[in-house]
Amino acid sequence: MFQNRAEALTLALPAATFAALVFVLPVIVLLSGGLHVEGRWTLEAYQRFFADPLNRLVVWRTLELGALVTAAAAVIGYASALAIVDLPAAGKSRMIGLVVLPLMISPVARTYAWLVILGRAGIVNKALMLIGLTDEPVRVLFTQTAVFIGLLQLFLPLMVLSLVSALENMPNDVIPAARVLGANWLQIFVKVVLPLTREGLVTGGTLVFAGSVTAYITPAILGGSKVLTLVTLLYQRVTIANDLVSASVIAFILIVMSFSANLLLNRIATGRSLK
Amino acid sequence: MTMRQPAIVVLGLLVAFLVGPFVVIVAASLSAGDTLAFPPQGFSLRWVAKVFAEQSFRSSFALSMFLAVFATLAALVLGIPASYAMSRYSMPFAEAVRTVVSSPIIVPGIIVGLALLRYLVAPFGINVVVALFLAHTALVLPYCVRVVSASLDNLRSDVEEAAILLGSSRLGAFFRVVLPNIRNGVLAAFILGFVTSFDQVPVSLFLSGPGVQTLPIDMLGYMERTYDPSVAALSSLLAFLSIGIMFVAERFIGFSRYV
Repeated sequence: MFQNRAEALTLALPAATFAALVFVLPVIVLLSGGLHVEGRWTLEAYQRFFADPLNRLVVWRTLELGALVTAAAAVIGYASALAIVDLPAAGKSRMIGLVVLPLMISPVARTYAWLVILGRAGIVNKALMLIGLTDEPVRVLFTQTAVFIGLLQLFLPLMVLSLVSALENMPNDVIPAARVLGANWLQIFVKVVLPLTREGLVTGGTLVFAGSVTAYITPAILGGSKVLTLVTLLYQRVTIANDLVSASVIAFILIVMSFSANLLLNRIATGRSLK
Repeated sequence: MTMRQPAIVVLGLLVAFLVGPFVVIVAASLSAGDTLAFPPQGFSLRWVAKVFAEQSFRSSFALSMFLAVFATLAALVLGIPASYAMSRYSMPFAEAVRTVVSSPIIVPGIIVGLALLRYLVAPFGINVVVALFLAHTALVLPYCVRVVSASLDNLRSDVEEAAILLGSSRLGAFFRVVLPNIRNGVLAAFILGFVTSFDQVPVSLFLSGPGVQTLPIDMLGYMERTYDPSVAALSSLLAFLSIGIMFVAERFIGFSRYV
């Protein structure tokens, strides 16, 4: 550890100053725009925003989508991660490669694929009509379901990866031990696996939740103007109505959501390093 | 351990869900038909050819490449000394510096873009390309700091202390001892930063002006106007490009250890 403080600050200040000027300052000014209206500090903009039932619906929908995607990712994530850690070494690294792969593909491309799959003439509708489940194409595109599917595909890898690493850190004789002692699979999962991998679940869950509530591309392409989320609502308010006050309110709500998720994540990370 | 049947089913479904859309995109882009469809109607490379012929894709690709390379380089130039200071010095306000530098990761991109447009670009009349460059640098900075910091923390500091004791200047010790040892970490940070910047949509959304668009924004716009498979073809090409980069990165520097 070097002790020269002036030298340390000289090294760190360019980055800190840059981030503060280009980023922190403009965001703070933007946020204050919702609190400082017509020359005085007030919460009126927030009252007006929440008085509109459409806005409340969008806030609720955003939280609901975030929660649903996170829950689904947790269930699928555990099933997949448990299967992955059981694989032999070569199969495991190949499987992890397949999970990482979609993360490297542009989110625009990944979301675009669902247009082909879920559209009126898409595979899902063709298959449904072929097996006679429906005579007319079902409308999936531009519904909340489509946004849900898109977000889940986008963020599931993050959950799977963090659960795989949590399961790998778990001593591998605890499951056989519980089985020998007579526990069924549900008891094993609830009493052994879940407590021992809680950190991985919360880490993955936070990433998935924060990613889902702040995503732009997926709700924009798959939800359109019918299924607005906070981010697409913000975009609409600015581009259509030039309404910076609402934009500032939405920005604040989004930052609170994303920030609390990150706070939780840091709490876990520091809890681990203190141990 | 032999694999149980349910596990095979679960993994099969997982791969189908995660990789399936990619297969659909590739297949749709090879279609001979005029509209986006799967299964594709016939086989042709006309949409792939159209991607290369489309002037707007070419210029937005060039802009995205330029931003990804130079914003990441700028972020490394800012980020490596900062990471070094945070890792090797007992620094005043270390926590504050860390928070400020990593804040662009916490605040949703669309807010960053809007804030920059309204309070930096509009009042100071900054050129759109410069604004995009600044925004992408700020966006990539936290990733660079995180990856480089992790490499520095893994490198024992007594190596450079030994070099300094043996008469090297601190700067000399950094360039001759530290930097060669964290080279792979820096490369990983570059790749991560490059991909982050290249695929970035929300930050660029408000900042892209008429005629100045990054590739993903251009693709979004094209998608809204036309329903032909050229975006699918472009998406496939980009996907193969990133898979190629990842493959090489994994092979030579073990990229996944750094992410």
